[in-house]
Amino acid sequence: MKMRRLCTFLLAVLQLLLPLVLTGCWDSVELNRRAIVSGVAIDRGEGEKEKYVVSFQVIVAEEISGKNTRGISPVVLYTGKGRTMFEALANASRQTARFLSLGHVRVLVISEKLAREGIKDMLDVLERESDTRLTSLIFVAKGQPASELMSTMTVFSKIPANDLVEKLETTSKQFGYNFRMEVDDVIRGIQLRGGGPVINGVFTDGSREKADSNDNFKTIVPHAILKVSELAAFKDDKLKGWIKGDAALGTVLLHNKIKEYPVVISHPQGGYIAFNVYQSQVRLTVAAKDPEHPVFTVKISQQVSIKENANELNLISPATVVDLSSHVIKDTTRKIKDAIDTARKYNSDYLGFGEAMERENPQGWKKVMKHWEDIFADCEYKIEADAVIRHTDMRSNSFQVNP
Amino acid sequence: MGKVKIGLLQFFTLTVLFELGTALVVNLGMNAGRDAWMSILIGCLAGLVMFWGYVYLYRKHPDMPFTAYTRKLLGTTAGTPVAVMYIVLYMNLAGRDLRDGSTMLAMATMHNTPLFILSMLMILSSAYVLHKGLEVLTRTSLMFTIIVLLIGVFSLLLLILSGSIKLFRLLPVLENGIGPVMDSVVHQNYMFPFGEMICFTMLMPYLSDVKKGPWVIAAGMLISALLLSATMALNISVLGADIVERSPLPLMPTISKISISDFIQRVDIFVVMVLIIGVFFKVSVFFAAALIGISELFNLPYRRMVYPVTLMILFTSMLDARSFTEHLNEGGRLLYTVYPLFMIVIPVILIIVTAIRSYFSAPRPG
Repeated sequence: MKMRRLCTFLLAVLQLLLPLVLTGCWDSVELNRRAIVSGVAIDRGEGEKEKYVVSFQVIVAEEISGKNTRGISPVVLYTGKGRTMFEALANASRQTARFLSLGHVRVLVISEKLAREGIKDMLDVLERESDTRLTSLIFVAKGQPASELMSTMTVFSKIPANDLVEKLETTSKQFGYNFRMEVDDVIRGIQLRGGGPVINGVFTDGSREKADSNDNFKTIVPHAILKVSELAAFKDDKLKGWIKGDAALGTVLLHNKIKEYPVVISHPQGGYIAFNVYQSQVRLTVAAKDPEHPVFTVKISQQVSIKENANELNLISPATVVDLSSHVIKDTTRKIKDAIDTARKYNSDYLGFGEAMERENPQGWKKVMKHWEDIFADCEYKIEADAVIRHTDMRSNSFQVNP
Repeated sequence: MGKVKIGLLQFFTLTVLFELGTALVVNLGMNAGRDAWMSILIGCLAGLVMFWGYVYLYRKHPDMPFTAYTRKLLGTTAGTPVAVMYIVLYMNLAGRDLRDGSTMLAMATMHNTPLFILSMLMILSSAYVLHKGLEVLTRTSLMFTIIVLLIGVFSLLLLILSGSIKLFRLLPVLENGIGPVMDSVVHQNYMFPFGEMICFTMLMPYLSDVKKGPWVIAAGMLISALLLSATMALNISVLGADIVERSPLPLMPTISKISISDFIQRVDIFVVMVLIIGVFFKVSVFFAAALIGISELFNLPYRRMVYPVTLMILFTSMLDARSFTEHLNEGGRLLYTVYPLFMIVIPVILIIVTAIRSYFSAPRPG
């Protein structure tokens, strides 16, 4: 009996000890041996041997939230070179004191040079590696090395990569010329037959001289500001050009990613009127009985509010308001048209017309997918836009009506 | 292992977890492209027909496992080798699933951990539970079904909230007609995971209710088919058919798309949990089937054989293939070459023999 009790006791002790061997097995890396990468910049190096110059923006954890900070930079930039992305990562370890952990990369910036050469080779590792994640945002550095974007101090977040993410989020919610593009969106975009992805551009405005130190924002006007710029249009995996202005907005509309955007029209009676489009729903349909001559229909319905009316218009009359909304409709139609024209100019169906066609007439799509560019270049399309001004906000007429 | 009887609810949850098993995380039925969800449903219907054949055998011999009535029906000389083959089949299936599970774990999270250690930890937990008995396994399944379902509901909710589900990625339906769907059914889906229900012929004698039991198991199959189909549809609508087709574990990137205002993110560890739970039940059920077969055939006590069989399964899983690619390729071919023999041909022969026997031995009027 006593023996039995002893056995039970020993077993219980063994049970308590066993979990100790289960702590992460062979793969455990202690937290103080990890360095979290917040952003990655990918540049085109010289020659084949250093094709990828990959810079990692690494968070210095003590500086972000530690008690005894040294007043050093909150992030550091390490650069590795190699023929492939993975080699470059391993190469960077010569400088890093800790293991770079890629689980929290929020931003990937590709330099314009590399983007023009083609990005499909470097995307594979982002999919395959189990540490990286698909929700990282992809950017193209407009006209400058990508590493500069990752080495610019920012005001609102100690970590520049986070700042960039927040900037994109704010502008896509308010201004409408950009939208979130994640890794898998880009991969699906490259696979669009006859098309490509659309990727947000980013650049720094101002002098680069003190951009990478705290001096950058010691003055009220920062020396260099990280800015989200136009959209980069791709054909397959190569950058073809930048989508600007109305065309960019039309592109975002056609992707149905718009949240809010301002519309400014100049009224025939003089003065500008500004609207805020706070809701828009886009549907792309296609009549594709004859796959060689499809007819696309873009249907848009929008809700608009008047934000600025420096004018003597009689906003009490419904007729005036309806007339104003027709201006908005015209503006939207022009933007969509612009977007389609730009896409044709770049010879790339990044708007997803081909996809719509595939859904509508999969057999017909198979026949035309090989030469889809030609069909896309001169297919017919109709735009059916509708906009309604729900209200005039806090005033009806402007004070200019009763001077 | 005595006269244990297992309740209907527990059998139901065991069926659900066994069917979900590894199938929930892998790219099931992707031969059919974006219509994979359909081939799973059709596969389930085919599986249910097969299962009803097994139920016929069970109802005729409610107290015997499969290995016992093969010998009764085919005679000892022909029946014994067949029974031994089935035991080997179960051990092999357990080994294959163990390899699936441990490699996927290694791919997903534990890159540097030796495969052998992962396999060993998993098979030892199975062995421990089976040492405690079959009823412990089924009770465990009750607990884990709740966990798996909770994880499922939670992940689905988060995916909807983060707005990553784009149902239009499932269109066009049946792009190339029904052909590829049926091809996928024939090559994979009726066998994996639904044909594997053959091992329940070893467990069904423990059912507490001969009449309702098979219906409950069939309901479990149907529900897990719906869950599997919905999961594949979810994967495709989040990632697109191409990425799913190229991912060995598509549920992982799907779940990793969850990001709610950059605060709730990287919940892919849930998938790893589901994977471990699924593999555990899959391996354990095959393991149990093999054990019941051995103890019945060789008249050995059930518990004594637990550790030898553990070792056999462990080494089968390790020696099965050098690489995962080889393993999957081999598995894919087994699904339509070898398994139909065990899961259709032999049971059909047994059904015919049973039918003839009961026809001649039935008391006739007059």
